[in-house]
Amino acid sequence: MTTDDDAGRYEIRVEGHLASRWAVWFDGMSLTSESDGTTSIRGQVIDQAALHGLLQRLRDTGLPLISVTQLDPSITESTPTPRRNAT
Amino acid sequence: MAGPLLQTKFHVPRRRRALVSRPRLSDRLTRGTESALTLVSAPAGFGKTTLLTEWLADWLAAAPAAERSAAWLSLDERDNDPALFWRYLVAALDSVAPGVGASALALLQSTQPAAEAVLATLLNDLGAVPNDVVLVLDDFHVIEAGEVQDGMAFLLEHLPPQIRLVIAGRADPALPLARLRGRGELVEVRAADLRFSPDEAAAYLNGVMNLALTPQDVEALEGRTEGWIAALQLAALSIQGRDDVAGFIAGFAGDDRYIVDYLAQEVLQRQPGSVRDFLLQTSILGRLNGPLCDAVTGQGGGRATLEALDRGNLFLVPLDDQRQWYRYHHLFADVLQAHLMEEQPDRIRELHRRASDWYEQRGERSEAVHHALAGEDFERAADLVEPTIPELRRNRQEATLRSWLEALPDELFRVRPVLTVGLVSSLMVRGDFDGVEARLRQAEKWLDPTADRTGMAVVDEDAFRTLPTAIAMYRAGTALVRGDVAGTMTHARRALDLADEDDHLARGAPAALLGLAYWTSGDLDESSRLYVDAMVSLTRAGYHSDVLGGSIALADMRLAQGRLREAMGIFERGLQRAERSQPVLRGAADMHVGLSHVLRERGDLDAARMHLQASSELGEHVGLPQNRYRWRVAMARIREAGGDLVGALDLLDEAERVYVGDFSPDVRPVPALRARVLVAQGRWAEALDWAQERGLSVDDQLSYLREFEHVTLARALSARYTAERDEWSIREAAALLERLRSAAEDGGRTGSLLDVLVVQSLASQAQGDLPAALISLRRALTLAEPEGYVRIFVDEGAPMASLLRVVAKEGDPGSYVRRLLAAFDGTKVRKPVSPEVIDPLSPREIDVLRLLGTDLDGPDIARRLFVSLNTVRTHTKNIYAKLGVNNRRSAVRRAEDLGLMVRPR
Repeated sequence: MTTDDDAGRYEIRVEGHLASRWAVWFDGMSLTSESDGTTSIRGQVIDQAALHGLLQRLRDTGLPLISVTQLDPSITESTPTPRRNAT
Repeated sequence: MAGPLLQTKFHVPRRRRALVSRPRLSDRLTRGTESALTLVSAPAGFGKTTLLTEWLADWLAAAPAAERSAAWLSLDERDNDPALFWRYLVAALDSVAPGVGASALALLQSTQPAAEAVLATLLNDLGAVPNDVVLVLDDFHVIEAGEVQDGMAFLLEHLPPQIRLVIAGRADPALPLARLRGRGELVEVRAADLRFSPDEAAAYLNGVMNLALTPQDVEALEGRTEGWIAALQLAALSIQGRDDVAGFIAGFAGDDRYIVDYLAQEVLQRQPGSVRDFLLQTSILGRLNGPLCDAVTGQGGGRATLEALDRGNLFLVPLDDQRQWYRYHHLFADVLQAHLMEEQPDRIRELHRRASDWYEQRGERSEAVHHALAGEDFERAADLVEPTIPELRRNRQEATLRSWLEALPDELFRVRPVLTVGLVSSLMVRGDFDGVEARLRQAEKWLDPTADRTGMAVVDEDAFRTLPTAIAMYRAGTALVRGDVAGTMTHARRALDLADEDDHLARGAPAALLGLAYWTSGDLDESSRLYVDAMVSLTRAGYHSDVLGGSIALADMRLAQGRLREAMGIFERGLQRAERSQPVLRGAADMHVGLSHVLRERGDLDAARMHLQASSELGEHVGLPQNRYRWRVAMARIREAGGDLVGALDLLDEAERVYVGDFSPDVRPVPALRARVLVAQGRWAEALDWAQERGLSVDDQLSYLREFEHVTLARALSARYTAERDEWSIREAAALLERLRSAAEDGGRTGSLLDVLVVQSLASQAQGDLPAALISLRRALTLAEPEGYVRIFVDEGAPMASLLRVVAKEGDPGSYVRRLLAAFDGTKVRKPVSPEVIDPLSPREIDVLRLLGTDLDGPDIARRLFVSLNTVRTHTKNIYAKLGVNNRRSAVRRAEDLGLMVRPR
C-alpha cells in the first residue's frame, strides 16, 4: 500500500522537445518545452512505483534523461509554468 | 495460455535484406562466447536485436552445425511470473538441445516450483550437452520480479562453459555485473558502441537505402541523430521519394523536437489515410496477424496491409518465418499509441474489446484478459479470469493470477464470491493472512440459501458449488498458522464434512490439516488415522510430491508411537514412489534420511550412513525444505552413536542454523537434542542453563509439544544428582518422569514412553535402587524388542550395559538382550566404511552406475537419462576408471561393496 509520504509533485527533464500530445502518454503530466531544447515534465505522482513507471515509459522513448527533481509543494502549487517556448 | 507456450517468442529474428556490416561489434560478440555473460544494453532503437541476429547467423555458419546452436527468447511483461519465465527459458534451451529440459519441465509441473531445484536439474542436464549453445534473452529489461532475477544470477553462477548467455535490453539487469566484470567474465556492448559512426551512417544512408546524399547531408543527419539507428531509419524513410532532400534535412537538423516523434509524423503523414488508420488502431496490439487486425479495425485485408508494411520496411518486426505474426518496433508503437490517444481516445476501449473477443474465441485466455484489463473492461476481465483460476493454480502461475486479481477494482469482488475466494488463496500463498477473514465473510454471505442473490456474478458454477468447502478449508489454514488448534479442528472438520466423496483434493487437504491439529495436541492415534486418509486422497488426486511430504509427518507420528517398523515401511514405499517417477520426485532425498534414522535406531549404522550418502548424492534440489536440517540431525546421531560427541554437536549447531519450520509441530527440537549430547558429555550444567532459557520447569503442565524437552530436563537433573548427589534434583526428576510416563501411556505414545523408561531406569540405578531400575528396564525391553530398537539403550553407554548384564544374569537373557550387549562392544571396534577412499563419482555418474546394475542396455540408459549414447559411454568410462575395474559386472560388484548402489531395503 502507498503512503502519503511517497506522493508528490515531480519535475523530470529530458533532452529534446516533446509535443503536447505526449501528455496523455505520460499519465496526464504537463509538458513544457524549454528554450534550452529540453522538455520539463511536471505533475503529481501517487507514489514511488508510479514515478518509476513514468521513468520507464521515458526510457522506452529513448529520450535522454537529464534530471528528476521533487518539487516543493508550497512553491510549485502557486507557481504556474509561464515559459512556453514555441520552436 | 496456461498450457501452450507462444512459439513466436522463440523465433530467432531473421536477417534483414541488407545491413551495414559491423565487424568491430561482431568480433566483440564472438569474444563474448568465451565469457559467462554478454550484455547488450542500450535504449530502444539502437539496433541490439539486429546486431545479435546478424552475428548469430555468422557465428553459427562458422562451424559445423553439430558443434553450435543458438536459442532465442523474446521476453514480455508476463514473464515476470517465475513459473512462466522458467517454462519459457527451459523450453528455449530444450529446442536446441532436445531432452535437456525434460526433467526440469517435469519438475516445474509436478511440484512447487522452487527455482533452484528446477535450475539445478537443468544445469545438471546442460552439463552433458556436447556442443556450444548460445541463449539470447531479448528485452530482458521487462523482467522486474526479484525471484526471476535471483534465479538468473544462480544460473549464471553455475552455467557450464559450453552454454553462453546473451542478455539484451534497455536497462542493465539486476545481476552481479560488477563481480563478473572483475573476473573478466562479462563482455558488454553498450549505447556508445551501438551508435552508427559517421562511416556507418554513410554506408547505411547511401549504401543500404540508396539515397545518394551529399557528405554534408550525411554529416547533418548523423549529427542530429547522434548515430541513433532508429532515428536514421526513420529519416531515411522520410527522405525516400522526396524532392527537396536538402531542405528537409536542414529543417530537421535545426529542430529541437523529439526525433522519433518528428520523423514518425513525417512518415505517417505520407501514408494514405487508410494505412494511417490501420497503424493507429492496431498499435494497441503486442502482436499482429491478419485476422486479428481485421477483427480490431473492423475491416478486411489486414494480412495484405501487413505484408505491404513489411515490404515498405515500416518498422514491422516479423515474429515467425511464415510471415503470419508481426509486431511494431517498440519505438514506433509508442509514437503510434501517443497519436491514437490524442486523436481517437474514445475508440481505445472498443479496440481492446475487439482484440479481447478475438483472443477469447481462439481460446487464448491470457491475451483476452490482457486486453480486457488494458481496455478497462473489468467486468469482462473478471468473467475471463474466474474460470481460469484452477488451471493457473495447477500450473503454479500464482504471480499471473495475483497480477490479474490485483488489477481488478475492489467493488467488483463484492458481487463475485468465487473470484473473492480465488483472491484469498492468492493472498495466503503469499503469506498475507490479514484481510482473509473479511474476504471470506464477503464471499460467504452469498452462500446463505435465504439470501437474495440478485446482483451476484458467478461464472464458474462448479467452483461456486464447492465454495463452502473451500471457505472452511482456508479458515482452517489461517487458524493453524495462528496456532489455534481448536479452530483448525473445527474448520477442517467442517471442510471434510462438506467435501464430496469423490473430490479427492477437497477431502485430502482438510484431512491433513485436521491430522496436524491432532498431532499437535498429542493424539497420535487420531492424527495418524486422518493422515493415512489424507495421503490416500492426495494420491488419488495426483499430488504425489505432497504425498511424500505428508509421509514424513506420518512416519514421525509412527516413531512417537514406537512403531519403528511401520515408519520404515512408510519411508521405503515413499522412496519407491519417488524413484519410480521421472524425474525423481522432490522428497526422495528426505526418504533416505528417514530410512537412515530408523536404521540407526535399529543399530545398523553402516546402512544408516549409506542412506545419508545416497540422500546427498541425489542433491538438495530433490529434498523438501526441511531435509537440510533433518539430514544434519541424522548424521549427528550417527556420530553420537560412534562416540564422536564433539562432531555431533557441530552438526546439531549446523542443523539449528538451517532449520526451517513448516506446518508440522516441531516435536524434537534441535536445541533439546543438543542439550542431551551436553548431558552425555557431562556438561549437565549447560543443559540446565538451556532448560532455564526455554522456561522449562519440573512443575510445568505437560503437553506433547514439550514432551521431548521435559524428558531432556529430567535427564539433566538426573545427571546433576549423579555428579553432586543432591537429593532435590533426583526427587524432582523422578516426579517429573513419573508424570511424563503416565502422559505418554495415556496418549498411546510408546516411542515417548521408551524414552522415559530408559531415563527412569538409569535414575533409579543412580540412586542405588536396582530393583526399581530393573522394573523400568524390563518394561522398556518388552516394548522395544518387537520393533528392534537398539540405540535407545546402547547410546546410554556403560551404566546401561551393566544393567543389561544384570538382566542377562538373572534369567534367560534371550537373543534380544544378547544382541544389545554385543552392540555395546561393536560401538568401540566398529571400523568406518569409507567411500571417500575412491575418487568420488559425480551425481550423474552415480545415476549411470545404478542403471548399469539393471538389465537396461546402453541406448536404454541414454533414453532414461535423456542424454546421448556417447555421453553414457563417457560416463561409463569414467566410472570404470574411478572404480578401478574394466567391465560392467565388476563395476556393479565393486559399487555394491562400497555401498554406492544403495537401494530401498
